[in-house]
Amino acid sequence: MRNYVAVVFDDASTAYKGLHALWELDGAGEVTVHGAAVVHRDEFGQFQVDTKETHPALATAVGVGVGALLGALAGPLGAAAGVAGGAGIGAATGGVVGVAADLNRADIRRQAALETRFVLRVGQSAVVADVSEDATSTIDTRMHSLGGTVYRRGKSVLEDDVWFDDGTYPYDYYYYLYPYEYIPSDYRIW
Amino acid sequence: MEKVEDKVKDTLGHIRAAAQELHGAISDATAKRGGAIKADFEVVSQKAKAVAESIVKGSMGVQDEAVKKLLAEAVTHLEATQKNAAESLKSSGQAYQKAVRQTLADGRASVQKVSEAVAAVRTAESTHTHK
Repeated sequence: MRNYVAVVFDDASTAYKGLHALWELDGAGEVTVHGAAVVHRDEFGQFQVDTKETHPALATAVGVGVGALLGALAGPLGAAAGVAGGAGIGAATGGVVGVAADLNRADIRRQAALETRFVLRVGQSAVVADVSEDATSTIDTRMHSLGGTVYRRGKSVLEDDVWFDDGTYPYDYYYYLYPYEYIPSDYRIW
Repeated sequence: MEKVEDKVKDTLGHIRAAAQELHGAISDATAKRGGAIKADFEVVSQKAKAVAESIVKGSMGVQDEAVKKLLAEAVTHLEATQKNAAESLKSSGQAYQKAVRQTLADGRASVQKVSEAVAAVRTAESTHTHK
């Protein structure tokens, strides 16, 4: 089955360990990772996605696209907050930090909890990925061992959120996720 | 003797790595400016052609029609990558920016299709193993 997953960790370093573990599972053939990125929520409540040094316009697109994906993972109202509110997400190396989908607002948080319970709190980081998995236990077990909490929505469910597809995003979500393991040098500790 | 399924899996693994490397090269090139991007995009165009050729060659041993279709779609995206990278070399302004963005998008889409082919082969193998 094809799913989008968000694995929430309490800090960025552990999130990168989670990303590494995810790609290891791919290398072992236990799941197939089609793309992944790491997102942080800073002390001011804003979201940032780590990207390579790239064209600023592309970095911004990555930020907005991943922001929309996070909103979609949080459920319809989360997505509505992310898109209808014109919200985006900052790309760390792009130097652009937008106003994020505000999952800190109580009403959005409640709705997110109803949908998937996915909420990224201040100081937390999340691995967001597009995966094919034969059983959810493979990723769940590995991520739980690292202290991560896994949230997932089926790709088909996201595609059924037709109201979400308002033409703002010219590509499918996967365009915004790295198709290989990308870990900034600051986090390479293994 | 190596099983046909294992050979297909290995071939797809190599193709996927090449496509991922191509996307990485395009992504890195977009961080550069003007002439430097163009120099890199000349190489991108050649790499895209090489990956497309390896997919066509690798597809010959594939029996599964769904996997074949995904690989054919990857080739289509790689041809578009080549075309857009070449277009970026001779254009400027908005047309140039569009060609650069489209090169990256098609490069990314080609990895996605190969990756989906890999997932399909793995799932088929897993189903077969658990029967």
